[in-house]
Amino acid sequence: MPRACLVVIAALTLAGCGRGSTARADSVTLVVALNGDPGALNPAVTTSGNTHPVTDQIFNGLVGLDESLSPVPELARSWSLEDEGRTYRFALRPDVTWHDGTPFTAADVKFTFEEALLKYHSRTRAALQDLVERIETPDDHTVVFRLRRAYSPLLQRLDVVEASIIPKHVYAGQDLLAGEATRHPIGTGPFRFLSYAPADRVVLERNPTYFRKGLPGVDRLVFRIVPTAGTAVAALEKGEIDYVGGVAGPEVDRLRKTPGIAVVSGTGGSGGSVCEDVLIPNLARHPLDDIRVRRAIAMAIDRQFIVDRVYFGQGRPATGPISHLLAWAYSPDVRQYPHDTAAAIHLLDEAGLKPGRGGERLALTFTHAQTAQRLGQALREQLKTVGITLNLQAVDFNAAVDQVFVKKTFDLGMASFCNGADPDIGVRRIYVSSNIGPFPFSNGAGYRNRRVDALFDEASQFQDREDRRSRYVEIQKILAEDVPYFWLIDSEGLRAYRTAFTGFRLWTGAFVETVRPASATR
Amino acid sequence: MTIPPGTAGWIVRRAVLALAVVAGVATLTFVLIHLAPGDPIYVLAGDGGSPSYYADMRAKYGLDRPLLDQFIRYVRAVTRADFGYSFMFQAPVSRVLAQHAPASLLLGFTALILATVAGFLVGLATGARPNGVLDVAVRALSSVAYSAPVFWTGQMFILLLAVKLGLLPAGGLTSARVDLRGVRHIADVARHLVLPAITLALPFLAVVARVTHAAVADALHEPFVLAAKARGLSRTRIVMRHVATLAAVPLVALVGEHAASVVAGAALTEALFGWPGLGYLVLHASLHRDYPLVTATFVVISASVVLFNAATDVACAYLDPRITLS
Repeated sequence: MPRACLVVIAALTLAGCGRGSTARADSVTLVVALNGDPGALNPAVTTSGNTHPVTDQIFNGLVGLDESLSPVPELARSWSLEDEGRTYRFALRPDVTWHDGTPFTAADVKFTFEEALLKYHSRTRAALQDLVERIETPDDHTVVFRLRRAYSPLLQRLDVVEASIIPKHVYAGQDLLAGEATRHPIGTGPFRFLSYAPADRVVLERNPTYFRKGLPGVDRLVFRIVPTAGTAVAALEKGEIDYVGGVAGPEVDRLRKTPGIAVVSGTGGSGGSVCEDVLIPNLARHPLDDIRVRRAIAMAIDRQFIVDRVYFGQGRPATGPISHLLAWAYSPDVRQYPHDTAAAIHLLDEAGLKPGRGGERLALTFTHAQTAQRLGQALREQLKTVGITLNLQAVDFNAAVDQVFVKKTFDLGMASFCNGADPDIGVRRIYVSSNIGPFPFSNGAGYRNRRVDALFDEASQFQDREDRRSRYVEIQKILAEDVPYFWLIDSEGLRAYRTAFTGFRLWTGAFVETVRPASATR
Repeated sequence: MTIPPGTAGWIVRRAVLALAVVAGVATLTFVLIHLAPGDPIYVLAGDGGSPSYYADMRAKYGLDRPLLDQFIRYVRAVTRADFGYSFMFQAPVSRVLAQHAPASLLLGFTALILATVAGFLVGLATGARPNGVLDVAVRALSSVAYSAPVFWTGQMFILLLAVKLGLLPAGGLTSARVDLRGVRHIADVARHLVLPAITLALPFLAVVARVTHAAVADALHEPFVLAAKARGLSRTRIVMRHVATLAAVPLVALVGEHAASVVAGAALTEALFGWPGLGYLVLHASLHRDYPLVTATFVVISASVVLFNAATDVACAYLDPRITLS
């Protein structure tokens, strides 16, 4: 057995020797925790929350997003709208090269959309496949998108998370999902790929020819795969890791008191931005089809308690279907459901749900992922006060998604719906009747309202933001009246990092680009 | 060394049995993972897609075919030593397994050796003086070590030894911040190995200690021990020279029986310490419904259990003349 051990150590040693280049003694390395393997590294064919945190540092989008999630130039230096919003003309930066030295051109953009994004990227394909009539490349540095109808949120869909641009000269003729290029990605972004040891780490290094001069601010970027959140936090405290993208509630206080560590809320990134945690009632089942019962449940839930005790303050009670963080579209001027058990009981009485033996008026099953166990327990206690028995059915995440969105064998489900950079990206899908499923993160409740469908369509076609806002305000009013979902919390996931570094961009996928050592002068 | 008669028949029977067990495990795993709720296509393809997109992707990966058809295709592929393609890694399953197996073997065997050697020594020490202070203390500790979940003990070790005292790394296989070579790389791996190996070893260490303790206590009443005592040999000498050899025999069977589970059953320990082995892999693959990867990992694990058991039988027959392989 010792012999076997030696063989294995030798194998690991060899693996270590083959790994990338040696870091210089004075080079700056940033270590980021990643909770699962990224697998193939082609961002244009996947929405995976493990792939994008890595690839979003290697690739670029046509546009970036600023802190208010508005589009800013990236691979496109400018753009203009023509033909009443049906044509978008992008002027590309002429000074961009791929990591292998090949110049970036309009042909790469056309190839990426036609061969990758519109075929394989689930969200981009669903949104744009029927919308884009054709993509033209009049010269090497101009791309023209001709749409079948005006569509104002297009730019918000073109950042590195939703539409990373990949090189035509590398991928043409290859299997985009699993070809060799997916293991050795070549991008235009601030970091170049160096190595990937599955279940262990991905190593990137600074791109010295990055088109944004002076960036990135670190020489080496290592993604360490740490599947357990608690271990990632321990490694952060110990200084083995510099950035953790999620902090579990019970760890927050301890981390806040730890010198040298900053705990900040972040609203976006590769895994989705501006998210709302929502309870999903199955509207096809009685009595959840009764608006009085839904209003009663909404009033029986104490959201503030849930924010404080279940989410440890990571967010604030939601007031409606759009997160307050999407400020331009959000409206608080809608019907509210304050915590009021007397009013809830009154509504249940009205709906004919009288208390039976033991005071039970209604029994519901809450199908949820194991991670929502604490939420389930809180809801069970709160609903009990109005005579609703909540049976908890904890299953693994995949099984919960399957039961709620695909098979629809549930009473109450739960999801974290990310609004995205525009309501058309992440809000529309939850409420329009054309998206009832059966597939994940669709309109799980099965809500149908023609007026709401029409308003969403109108809102996506106006160019003027005030025109759009008026439609979204009306949508929020209608939905708050109908209460087809129970909006629990506008979540603000906490990130933690070592204060030896500064400049994290917590709203975007490319969150490392501007990071630099805190001691560095610029 | 002459091969005893009947050994050839034993080998054939054992090989057939082994194949049947592995085939049974593969079939059961295939059926169970396919019947589990949840569709790999959503993990594979991403969220927010259109129905036509999911239909296309299902067809691309052959997930639209009837289960029996998928199973027949799978069996045919396996007979060609093709375990299929991992959805998660977008790579051949055999390559993914080969990437994860070394770390598992390193952790598993280190834990096994640690548990066996340390458990044996503790068992000898406490068995030699039953009901002494050391024995009572070790008995209490071994109950805790055996019953405490590895997830808890591991986390305690991380918080105490890694975070508070800063003695050892909190997780991973190597240091992320530096890129070491040669001897320094080996030393780095060894430092990272300490906590997961102890965590994984502890429950089995407790078992070995208790079994050794019982064997020593029994042996101390054997006539030859009394004879040795009568000859004036010290207790330490009796235990080390005569009793230890006798107590080692039941350990062979025990280690053989537990070896596979220690090596292959490290899923929680690996997940906790971010150790890139097969245990982590099977956990991750199950959660992501990576059918080919889950099935193949279970095949490898069950094959290793069968191999360990056969090796144990051979070792027992070699050590104990009363046992024959026929």
